[in-house]
Amino acid sequence: MDWTWFHKWGSPKWFYELSGKWLPWLVGSMVLCLTVGIVWALLFVPQDYQQGLTNRIFYVHVPVASISLAFFPLMAIAGTVFLVWRMKLADVVVKVAAPLGAWFTALALASGSIWGVDTWGTWWIWDGRLTSLLLQFFLLLGVVSLRTALEDSEGAARACALLSIVGCINVVVIKYSVDWWNTLHQPSTDFSIAADQANGPEIWVPLVFMILAVYLFFAISLILSTRNEILQREKRSQWVMELVKRS
Amino acid sequence: MSKVQSTLIKAFVSTLRRDLLIAYKKKNDLFNPFMFFLIVATLFPIGISPEPEKLSEISAGVLWISALLAALLAMDNLFRADYEDGSLEQLMLSPHPLYFLVLAKNIAHWLVSGLPVVLVSPLIAYMLSLPEGAYVTLFLTLLLGTPVLSLLGSIGVALTVGLGSRGLVLAVITLPMSVPVLIAGTLAVTQTQNGAELSGFLAIMGAMLVAALTLAPLASAAALRISVN
Repeated sequence: MDWTWFHKWGSPKWFYELSGKWLPWLVGSMVLCLTVGIVWALLFVPQDYQQGLTNRIFYVHVPVASISLAFFPLMAIAGTVFLVWRMKLADVVVKVAAPLGAWFTALALASGSIWGVDTWGTWWIWDGRLTSLLLQFFLLLGVVSLRTALEDSEGAARACALLSIVGCINVVVIKYSVDWWNTLHQPSTDFSIAADQANGPEIWVPLVFMILAVYLFFAISLILSTRNEILQREKRSQWVMELVKRS
Repeated sequence: MSKVQSTLIKAFVSTLRRDLLIAYKKKNDLFNPFMFFLIVATLFPIGISPEPEKLSEISAGVLWISALLAALLAMDNLFRADYEDGSLEQLMLSPHPLYFLVLAKNIAHWLVSGLPVVLVSPLIAYMLSLPEGAYVTLFLTLLLGTPVLSLLGSIGVALTVGLGSRGLVLAVITLPMSVPVLIAGTLAVTQTQNGAELSGFLAIMGAMLVAALTLAPLASAAALRISVN
């Protein structure tokens, strides 16, 4: 089997150039999806008869919450790739994904709180999903603080890769145990409003647009911060110097 | 028994014995986590309420959280002294799988810092007016749960062993990971009070212990190889 496609990923320069070509397309399609999704969701989706206008935050909260669950698997995969093949790019991804994941998780928690204050009448309840998302937030901050404490050595890269893998397993265990704790402790919260809503196409098509937009936003922010980090790390190399001179 | 196996067991036993001997000589390390557990558990009645009714509601959680914090505090000296005097490197240079040596160190460490906490827990439970029927549950779940806390903590310690001031990083990494154990432990106490079967909870905690025994030393050993160059 031809492995050159794989080995190419080992070169930060190659990725930098390739992602530079992707970016305009990604940004363009994100802007398109976001405009269609936001305008549709905020102006044209019929109001919920119980929740009124508040329910429209659903179109932000659901995409953000679903993408925030992807960070630990992403970091674990990138971490494994780094530990096995010593691919520098994979470590860059582990490094930039941790703070980014913390932001997305915080955003999911915040948008959920804003929605909750109107529907449940409180900013916070110890619901299963909220609790496990909060713990995921703490675990991501743990990866960030380990990286900061180890001061970006080669050891820091491997330590964070390992912690990402351990964390990924742990997030799953935490998820199940928190659900179990929650069902035994309190009656489950009625989430069915959102599910009932997603009946007609005029409700779920804008959601699809918003999910696409947020996923593209995630990809763009990941690529941008990866490119940034590559430039930082390769600042003494020939191609970066030429790049700086040209601009 | 093949020769390789017998030398492996020898290495395991001598690591275990060495750590226990060191702990016996340095009684302070043995005493501190234990005292910490007592003091933290004492703070709750002072901070919340001395009334027995209120205390009996929270006592199981208080004991578990105190045990968790004591385990975290004690973790710090799992590898530190060995790292500083260089014997950790010697340990890693040995031809035996690091997994077993780390496991031996973990077991020795739990016997010294975790077991005393478990043994004294019924006394503290009485002072916190734990409901009558919950003593056995609490004792057994702590007995199964505290080794899991130590094993999980040792991953964090191994990752941060080279750092000068690592207390907070260690706490941020380790505490969220300990949540499943805390949940199982406190649920066992409250649910058996409501008439649930104890055996189910013990089975879950036993499963956690087996999983931690098999996986955590692997991660700790890998982390040590990263931290100690």
